[in-house]
Amino acid sequence: MTEPVRNVRFSQAIGEAIAGEMEADDRVLLLGEDVGRSGGVFGVTRGLQERFGEQRVRDTPISEMAFTGMGVGLAMAGYRPIVEIMFVDFVGVCLEQVMNAMSKIPYMSGGNTRVPMVLRTAGGCIGSAAQHSQCLWGTFAHLPGMIVVCPSSPYDYKGLMAAAIQSDDPVIYIENKRQLNKMSNTHPVDAVVPEGRYTVPFGKAKVVRQGSDLTLVTISASVGDALRAARLLEPEGVSIEVIDLRTLVPLDTETVAASVAKTGRLLVVDEDFHSFGMSGEVVARVVEALGPQALRQVARHAMPDIPLPAARTLEEAAVPSEASIIEAVRKMK
Amino acid sequence: MTANKHALIDHFRMMLDMRHFEEACLEGVPTREIHGELHTGIGQEAVAAGLAPWLRREDALVSTHRNHLHALAKGVDREKLLAEIFERENGLCGGRGGHMHPFDPATRFSATGIVGSSIPVALGFAYGFKMEGVSDVAVAVIGDGATNTGAFHECLNMAAAWNLPLLVIVENNSYAISVRFSDVSATPTIAERAAAYRAWGRCVDGTDVEEVWKACGEAFDHVRGGGGPALLEASCFRFQGHYEGDHDTYRSRAERKRIRAEHDPLTLTEQRLLDAGAATQEELKRMREASRSETAALLATVRAAPMPDASGLHRYSFVGV
Repeated sequence: MTEPVRNVRFSQAIGEAIAGEMEADDRVLLLGEDVGRSGGVFGVTRGLQERFGEQRVRDTPISEMAFTGMGVGLAMAGYRPIVEIMFVDFVGVCLEQVMNAMSKIPYMSGGNTRVPMVLRTAGGCIGSAAQHSQCLWGTFAHLPGMIVVCPSSPYDYKGLMAAAIQSDDPVIYIENKRQLNKMSNTHPVDAVVPEGRYTVPFGKAKVVRQGSDLTLVTISASVGDALRAARLLEPEGVSIEVIDLRTLVPLDTETVAASVAKTGRLLVVDEDFHSFGMSGEVVARVVEALGPQALRQVARHAMPDIPLPAARTLEEAAVPSEASIIEAVRKMK
Repeated sequence: MTANKHALIDHFRMMLDMRHFEEACLEGVPTREIHGELHTGIGQEAVAAGLAPWLRREDALVSTHRNHLHALAKGVDREKLLAEIFERENGLCGGRGGHMHPFDPATRFSATGIVGSSIPVALGFAYGFKMEGVSDVAVAVIGDGATNTGAFHECLNMAAAWNLPLLVIVENNSYAISVRFSDVSATPTIAERAAAYRAWGRCVDGTDVEEVWKACGEAFDHVRGGGGPALLEASCFRFQGHYEGDHDTYRSRAERKRIRAEHDPLTLTEQRLLDAGAATQEELKRMREASRSETAALLATVRAAPMPDASGLHRYSFVGV
């Protein structure tokens, strides 16, 4: 008889990481809207306030500028704050503290001041239209000074959160709302979440599927879509290698370039906006690493450069999905 | 008449040093040793000097784009500070921060170049102090312009809601660059807004170092004693433009002249020392000369220090880099 496989929600995997780190290090604390009494709008922080008290799990007013800056001050004072911005779309009101304080102070101070802070937030599309569906990881990756983490598998959701909390660098950790309420066994790979503490290192992309005809690079929930698409395309005689970047900063160009050197074809799938973002960056890095002659074909499949519409028919036409990835691959044949 | 002649002399010396420090900075502008903006606090020395004696090393102070005097008040090393302002490798931050972004964890001093953004960071320090149950105070220094940002409201609300040891000191020099406070603000004073948060608040003449000292004492008593946040508004005058090179067309020549003639905290303090018989003209002159020559020596030292080498461009970008 084998042990029954533990099946938890993605949200629970993050919560376990936070609880484990809070248990291990009393400098870790959590600030944000609805993180305490309600346990978070996606249930990530359920039970933490009861366990660690109101001071360490602090419900804040809707004052993102103040509580994000509070995180910066706490980090400078020696704490390890996790600040939750409920939806990444809300970062507009406090981007100042993210882009000018949290991410710049380590460098501006000549390394004399560390900001070991995690900004936890949720991206991804759940049918809530233009102001509640963005990903924006490309925006953060464009601004220097922060680690940008976008996990895809349940195993990574927990391990990368633990690594984020332990990091002495500022980290943006972007969860995907499409995944948070799902059970871990719905994910095609790395679906088992160990109960104990562990970390996953930054800057190590993972080849989640081996293939020989095409390198498909993506991140976050799109990794699951890409894996399912790759399996469905197998009977058509296309062998797809799927790479999960896991972190945008640092970006593991080496793993991607090694794969493209083998396949000669690159498709980047991105749930974030098409232009000036991850997809263009990955292509540029591969070209710089291998030279243009190494690529027989290149394509990008990303969110079009429009505010996401509300109507389901329009949304489906915009957001990369298993079906749209299949189409994108077929176009490359 | 002053209650304490010795204290007033100490205040005077500190203000002299502050003035000369800022004048040393001015020397770096035409030579382009300071090749970006420079904001000096010339004319506002009484606020920092009146605050200084109340600050403990464990207190945190988060300042603004006009931060040199607060750094000196907090006990930041003068040479390292001036070297940072002069963009040197041996500066407080290795020349990476410059004059608007000095960070000194040893004295818990920091600053931001973004108006209003010092308050949230100070709020974080205040939250930490409250959790630890210590009597340390987090001080946010801001200008009048910052009091019309959302962060001002958010932070005072949170500090009061959670009874945090936050002291907000407003240097009200009446101008947010060129925009007059009275033209864009609903309340005639800033301190009266404290009532909206059930916080301690008062105004003080920020050109009178003794009055500032007393008011800061009251504010620190309140905050250190666990009374929650305090908002102290010190009215003062910025002698220079917003930055060096500012044409300052929003103030008439007559207004600028009158400000320097009537509201110079150094002149006012000198007169008070003379009136009280605490110092003679000759003694005051010697103090001025001593402070000036010390600062000149400091400037010479800083100017002799090396600039950062281009090979270190990426250094400090992440841990281990």
